[in-house]
Amino acid sequence: MAVDEQGSAPNAAGQVEAGTPEVPVIQAQSPPIAAKTAVPLAATALSAAIGPGHGSVDESVQAFEHPIYKTLLNVPGLSVAVASLDQLLTWGQKSALFMFPMATSCCGIEFMATAASRVDVDRMGAIVRGTPRQADVMVIAGTITVKMAPKVKRLWEQMPEPKWAVAMGSCAISGDFYRDLYPTIPGIDTVLPVDVYVPGCPPDPQSLMHGLMRLQEKIGLKRAGQWVPTEVRPETEKMTNPGVRRLIDPQRDPEVTAQQTRLALAATVDEPEGELLESGAEAVEQQLPQDLQTLLRERFEVEVFPADAAPIVARKHHLHLARTLKAMGYLNFVYVVASHWPSKDGETFEVAYAVRRTGPGTTLAQWRVQLAADEPIESLAEVWAGADWQEREQYDLVGVQFAGHPDLRRLMLSDDWQGHPLRRDYPADKACFPWR
Amino acid sequence: MATAANSPTESRYRLDQVDADADLMVLNFGPQHPSTHGVFRIKLILDGEIVIRAIPYAGYLHRGVEKLLEKLTYAQGVPIVDKNDYVSPMSNEQALVMAFEKLLKVEVPRRARYLRLIFSELQRIASHLLWLGTFALDMGGALGGGSTVFMYCFRDREGILDLFEAVTGGRFHYNTHTIGGNRHDIPLGWDKRVLAYLDMLEPRIAECESMTTNNSIFVARTQGIGLIDKDLAQGLGLSGPLLRASGVDHDLRRDAPYHAYDEVPVRVMVEQAGDCQARALVRVREMRESIRLVREALAGLPEGGINSGKIIKMPQQFKAQSGQVYAAIETPRGELGTFVIAGGGDKGTAPYRLKIRAPSLHALSALPWILPGHTISDVVVVLGSLDPIMGEVDR
Repeated sequence: MAVDEQGSAPNAAGQVEAGTPEVPVIQAQSPPIAAKTAVPLAATALSAAIGPGHGSVDESVQAFEHPIYKTLLNVPGLSVAVASLDQLLTWGQKSALFMFPMATSCCGIEFMATAASRVDVDRMGAIVRGTPRQADVMVIAGTITVKMAPKVKRLWEQMPEPKWAVAMGSCAISGDFYRDLYPTIPGIDTVLPVDVYVPGCPPDPQSLMHGLMRLQEKIGLKRAGQWVPTEVRPETEKMTNPGVRRLIDPQRDPEVTAQQTRLALAATVDEPEGELLESGAEAVEQQLPQDLQTLLRERFEVEVFPADAAPIVARKHHLHLARTLKAMGYLNFVYVVASHWPSKDGETFEVAYAVRRTGPGTTLAQWRVQLAADEPIESLAEVWAGADWQEREQYDLVGVQFAGHPDLRRLMLSDDWQGHPLRRDYPADKACFPWR
Repeated sequence: MATAANSPTESRYRLDQVDADADLMVLNFGPQHPSTHGVFRIKLILDGEIVIRAIPYAGYLHRGVEKLLEKLTYAQGVPIVDKNDYVSPMSNEQALVMAFEKLLKVEVPRRARYLRLIFSELQRIASHLLWLGTFALDMGGALGGGSTVFMYCFRDREGILDLFEAVTGGRFHYNTHTIGGNRHDIPLGWDKRVLAYLDMLEPRIAECESMTTNNSIFVARTQGIGLIDKDLAQGLGLSGPLLRASGVDHDLRRDAPYHAYDEVPVRVMVEQAGDCQARALVRVREMRESIRLVREALAGLPEGGINSGKIIKMPQQFKAQSGQVYAAIETPRGELGTFVIAGGGDKGTAPYRLKIRAPSLHALSALPWILPGHTISDVVVVLGSLDPIMGEVDR
């Protein structure tokens, strides 16, 4: 479809150059210079630069600005034909909605159900495309997080014009109950312009179909020359335009460097490891008491066994205990939980571990280690491979340092995140740049 | 940056054949890709078509659920966790309320325990059906257009959603479990509907089997792919079908019975191979086993109340000043546990710290170990066979 539509231009708020944080984001309220400019291509570019211009677009320009229309309209007697052709195009456009599922969470499953056998949205001509380059409609189904929003923005920009967006479900509309939390954004319309909102948690397939039918109506109106403004909630309009610089900042998502490639190759070399563990484990196995409580009392100097919690083990025994347990057959790694305990005298941390002996009559071995502030704890990633990601998660969210961890990076949040959100002094509704 | 220590280094992955001067390519898979089952990203380092190294990145759906649950009272937490593993919300609720019941020392009536078992097993069927459909879709054209299986599975899954809707009013997120029991009893005639549905479903599973696990193309694409041996599976903390497919005979329903599993015993499905085919076989057999369990539980469904009475009307009464508990159940994906430290909120009305131990997170942590040596087309198969749900991975 060769027809450009300036009406869909508000998406282009993301055209500010990457890596230049000093350049201020141009606001939507800039003067409507673009509207009066005659050359269509220039108009598109300009309006892309100034971002959404709600209610400030000249209808005569926004309707059909493709050069071929002007030429055709100037031919005597052809205007009727052009109008009919346009109706045909409108019909085609709204009856063949190619949907790109920007499915992140629960709504994505309902989106799949909509496309599947019972509801079968195919019969409306709406089919699912896996790539944005072949799609007309982006259905944002699910929670969008601060980490994901730049990706959504980029995918939106990859979609060819004309394009529409449907926000499916309360998370995409407003953030739902995650709205005030640190990692989520308060609605996808802070990132890209939304045409139809489909409420629900999640909306059932019928609701999504209804939303798509509303979108068809909207497309019909727009192509008939009637201006349909993009709906923007008042609260969203008041928000600062999302930090576009941040969204497309290459620093946030560094590519693989030559150094990393070299390391990737180095990883293929065998390294001897765990010799101490295996030989030591054989030796202790014979004489170990199988009862966990006796073991902890005799070998690891544990005196207190609280009734409602796991016993506390001294930090110096932690790694040895882990190896002993593994030798005793506790092979399955279960959890690491770090917790933060601030007080008047400072702060302490507590890390709880659990491992499991599988099979009939399974037993769970749990223990805790208490740490002073900034005191690291020995990582168990070399004993149980599963501790790797679990410890990364706890490092990320609570900020406990794991000594000897092979790859201590953030797991959940982006690398440039400030602070550790699961600490008690981290507010649950902390204002999150750039959205709040 | 990852170092060698967290990576598989064994020559069975054909890595010794890699030329040191090889022209490596980096392929970014995700975070938006139809086959990543959500938003998940793997950085693949390739030599030609062979994956040399895979570096997964999670967290694109990290929503701060654990922080949110610290803010809310115990009773308010249930509808929140529905959204974690959104393919089996019932299991999420059960894992949470079971931890709270253990912490607050609340008894659950026998009928409620039976109902929980029935919901949990129906949910397992629904979840495995969704997995089978999407797994066939991942294989794509190899199965003669995998979308046939996808359509069949979704058709059958709708039946279970209808059954749940009849009980709870919710099609997708139910909010039906409370501390001390269930919120909704089953309506009149619901058990007959369930039995009729199960009678219909059984031959349909056989039909899906004939298109997948009994299909030679399916076998060719899954056999020997994505091997996880017993030791690795245990060390990574895998659970559920992944662990059982690697030859470990372990199922919390049998080994640490909860609900009414001590009265309705479970036959555990174990496969030895540890590849994608074994994982598929375990899941398909579990569906049949779940059908048997639901039938048996419905036959033995006791009369009586479904919750612990008046306390349910006063949810703010739930208070605990101290204590740490861990409760786990066997969801379709494995051991879903909740670790709670009491004493948060206003005088102990909320958890101080709550951690959800998600089986999918452990499953995905296997990727750097098993992907090297496979071709790109196998990456999708391996990822699908792990059945990760991103809502649960990232929470």
